[in-house]
Amino acid sequence: MTVHDPLARLKPVNPELTWRQYLLEMWDRRDFAVAMPMEDLRATHSNTLLGNLWHLGNPLLNVAVYYLVFGVILSTSRGVDNFILFLTIGIFTFHLTSRSVLGGATSISSNQGLMRAIRFPRALLPISIVISRLLTFGIELGVLVAVTLATGEGVSPRWLAAPFVLGVHTALNLGGALIAARLNAAFRDVQQIIPFLFHLLRYVSGVMFPLDRFLDSSGGEYPLIRRVVELNPMVPLIDLYRWMLMGSAIDVGSVVQLVVVSAALLVFGFSFFRGAEWRYGRA
Amino acid sequence: MTPESRDVSIRVRDLRVDYEVFDDRRAGLRQRLVTMSGTGRTLVHAVRGVSFDVCEGEAVGVIGSNGSGKSTMLAAVAGLLPPSDGEILVSDEPKLLGVGATLLPRASGYRNIRLGCLALGMSNNEVDQRVEEIIEFTELGEAIDRPLRTYSSGMRARLHFAIATSVHPRILLIDEALAVGDRRFRKRSSKRIETMLAGAGTVMMATHAPAEIRKQCSRALWIEQGELRADGPAVEVLREYRSFTG
Repeated sequence: MTVHDPLARLKPVNPELTWRQYLLEMWDRRDFAVAMPMEDLRATHSNTLLGNLWHLGNPLLNVAVYYLVFGVILSTSRGVDNFILFLTIGIFTFHLTSRSVLGGATSISSNQGLMRAIRFPRALLPISIVISRLLTFGIELGVLVAVTLATGEGVSPRWLAAPFVLGVHTALNLGGALIAARLNAAFRDVQQIIPFLFHLLRYVSGVMFPLDRFLDSSGGEYPLIRRVVELNPMVPLIDLYRWMLMGSAIDVGSVVQLVVVSAALLVFGFSFFRGAEWRYGRA
Repeated sequence: MTPESRDVSIRVRDLRVDYEVFDDRRAGLRQRLVTMSGTGRTLVHAVRGVSFDVCEGEAVGVIGSNGSGKSTMLAAVAGLLPPSDGEILVSDEPKLLGVGATLLPRASGYRNIRLGCLALGMSNNEVDQRVEEIIEFTELGEAIDRPLRTYSSGMRARLHFAIATSVHPRILLIDEALAVGDRRFRKRSSKRIETMLAGAGTVMMATHAPAEIRKQCSRALWIEQGELRADGPAVEVLREYRSFTG
């Protein structure tokens, strides 16, 4: 006769998950990871008159403002071929990253209600935000293609690189979003600082004007600025988009560096985020 | 069956939960620099060494004064709060129903059902199959399409109860969530809980309504200042608690 063990089925309520188990739990909730971004998109402009039209209006107004300031008033456009496309690519590319990271930062703090009720891998929250921002970028990509064709660049086989470019970009955004999520969960101060960091970063990322000209004038005097520019993954990323759509020159070495940096940021971001998984969502 | 021969579904051993809070009235910057103290955070010992076992088919009431650590303890048992020390073992993943849980305040009741079920691990297909039944149980009528932030606490409780019980949990932890419901909802939720218990489920419910505990629970835990003051038959523990509160 076997003795019945009344404790046989007990297991820890929160076992230490291996990487594999954690990823499997996320995979099990893949429908959730898709539904959350859709909800986010729906809710973003739900209190406005124009509603979802703002997903298109917002980037267009952005380009208009920057064109007015940098193209017309400051004339940084001198010597740049097809400045409007140059500018549009820079702004949209940069915006996707800054919005992903800022959204990632608040993804934990703004979903406390959900986390207090239901257990699920918390990494799904920053991931959902990054997916949501990527979906709105789809609209901006449409605008980019329209501007490309309207300014006479024409269709190119280089467009086939789009999945690779978007993949690298998303890895970078996700890494940044995961890091920002953990930092902001610990210190809400982070979400106040991020916009300023990106504002500063925008000027050394070659968004509104070609960087080499800028570096020639000030980089010589300030080696630190040159250093920052060389390490900044946004520079080769924006170059990559410009190469794809405008056929501008690209340095293969910097692309390799970009891929390595993005992958490293993603892996580091993930383990950094998981390090505090337990603490998210507590009162 | 005697309790000894039944399977244990929750085992808690020497559970401690501390958390840090930002002080409301913090020391000024100068004072902090001078004394190098007063970082503005205080450690709160919410649960201080609680141990108990709960068996399958058992309904256990949890009573205690406001701020005694009942909610913190239930959240820890649900796996939503990290214990500072001790052990929590469960036979199945517990579902927690808290009165403070707001899910997604801006989304409609309908969307909260969908997203809540997906977060619980259902697939889109499963949600499609169950969503009508869940909506029906909430009896929210047209309000189901209104944003959750417009709901009364009773309506929120109905929605949340319907979502959490839709996955047929084997362990259900209820934190004051049913008390805010109206009479009709309380009757319907009691019925669902009874069905759960009959199927060897486990229920723990924190409440300030002794009648609820007398009606549904055979046993009760009394938590006071984070410590277990009494554990035994519901009627006796309630009597002790009553003489304590006077």
